[in-house]
Amino acid sequence: DALLPAPQNISILSTNMKHFLTWSPVIVQGATVRYSVEFQGEYEREYANESWIPISECSLSTATQCDITDDISASVAYKLRVRAQAGAASSQWGSLEGFFNRVTTALTPPVLKVTADGCHLLVELQDMGPALQFRVLFWRKGHESRVRQAVLSSGSAGAHLATMEDGAEYCVRAQTHARAIDRSSGFSPTQCVRAQGDTSVRLV
Amino acid sequence: SGELYCSLPNPRNVRFESVNMKNVLRWSAPEGTGDGVLYKVKYSVYGVGKWIRKPECRNINRTWCDLSSETSDHEEQYYASVKAFLDGMCSDWVETTRFNPLTDTKIDPPMVSVSSTDKSISIILAPPEKWKRSPEEESISLLQVYPGLQYNVAVLNKKTKKRWFFSISNNTLVVPWLEPGTAYCVSAQIHVTTPLLDSGFSKEHCIATLKEK
Amino acid sequence: TAGNRIFHFGACKVSMSTAEIRAGFTAIKANIQSRDPIRTLSILSHPHSLHKVKSPDRCCITHHLFNFYVDKVFKHCTTEDSFVNRKISSIANSFLSVRRKLGQCHEQNNCVCGEESMEKYKQILANYEGLNVTSAAMKSLGELDILLDWME
Repeated sequence: DALLPAPQNISILSTNMKHFLTWSPVIVQGATVRYSVEFQGEYEREYANESWIPISECSLSTATQCDITDDISASVAYKLRVRAQAGAASSQWGSLEGFFNRVTTALTPPVLKVTADGCHLLVELQDMGPALQFRVLFWRKGHESRVRQAVLSSGSAGAHLATMEDGAEYCVRAQTHARAIDRSSGFSPTQCVRAQGDTSVRLV
Repeated sequence: SGELYCSLPNPRNVRFESVNMKNVLRWSAPEGTGDGVLYKVKYSVYGVGKWIRKPECRNINRTWCDLSSETSDHEEQYYASVKAFLDGMCSDWVETTRFNPLTDTKIDPPMVSVSSTDKSISIILAPPEKWKRSPEEESISLLQVYPGLQYNVAVLNKKTKKRWFFSISNNTLVVPWLEPGTAYCVSAQIHVTTPLLDSGFSKEHCIATLKEK
Repeated sequence: TAGNRIFHFGACKVSMSTAEIRAGFTAIKANIQSRDPIRTLSILSHPHSLHKVKSPDRCCITHHLFNFYVDKVFKHCTTEDSFVNRKISSIANSFLSVRRKLGQCHEQNNCVCGEESMEKYKQILANYEGLNVTSAAMKSLGELDILLDWME
């Protein structure tokens, strides 16, 4: 008895390998509406009679979004659906239009902080979770043909990139790399520093 | 085998505790039993049809049994089981979960040795050795067991209190262009990517760069 | 977790990641293995260990094993535990990704099936068919680390 309208505007927000299903609230005067979410991977479609798997954290929840990151853990096409329930009444399933494959996640450049501690070039990168790494390029200013690279895991604080020649200026930029889908973001703005004995000077 | 009447409470928390593939079976005494409880131990290779008794752990009153020798092939998986005896009564056999030496062992931090000049420190790291039956037996480094083994190295400048992190695959690291006459403390961790295993960080090894000539 | 890396199965080179399969399995290993009471039988590792498979045969046996898990194993592993079912789905869908990459080697004819690998695969199927299907499937799922340890 589908008295309730199915949830509408069902869409995916996927950034930096974190995936959320969102939808518009179903309004029922004087009643609390709860939602349940299910997913179906390519395996379920091809080999398991098109079965659907409930996400317990998003079962009978009042939120109008669901973190599906842990369940979307393969690079295959997933279907997703959500339905509303209020008391004994429940709606039809509302389905995401088309499929979602995590290879389409939006990857943003990392926020990084470059410092020089004496002659040592250091970089600090925000923690974006274990699914992501950072590809850091660094070079001595004026020696753009000799760019060096380091691959750092997420949340590296005070990672040592290189020992700088005294008085030389070094520049750094980085991109986010999602290992599981082998894709990278654009590069962050370049930051340059110069080492001078004990004091460090940041030049942008 | 003329088993006794088994109504003694069971040994508890029967499990393998493994460090660098030294695989020791441990358990807790049955609830409510004081002294005098004896135990016997058996083990089996998963997929092979028989349980094997461990003679050195027959009628023992301690609550551990070293099965490193019996479980040294890390391409196999194992079960072990313990039975308790007291005053003519016995418990049931209580089994471990399936033990995979490759993924279920803990790895000790690496050995760290540090030397210095006036402007640099040199760090040499060595991974722990896999457990071996006797000192005479050939040593196997955990690097041979885990080819993807890497090191994370932390270097603390005691004056500025700043800490730098290095990730290296080989076992030596030279940090040049340091401040003369300054104390630096080094600690290191082992990081294995497949399977995913990390040791703790070693204790800090501190050394001062020589004063400027 | 580890990222993509190059796996060498004889002449077949494939860039892929088993880290997520490994993570999914580790999360449910104790649960799944506790459902397998048979200590004296193994689907994958006895009587002959996977580690005895020679290098040229590695691609073929790997490809067959991924098909084995997709076609025969996962569908019989539904449990009453929602968390376990979700992890099995994650593993199964990851298997599809990896199998697709292994398929590339088949197309490039780098995945030749020698006599030894077919013998080994027949042995695995015989072990599997020697049990009732649910027990065989749950045991096979509980042995995923044997496959991963060997692959890695």
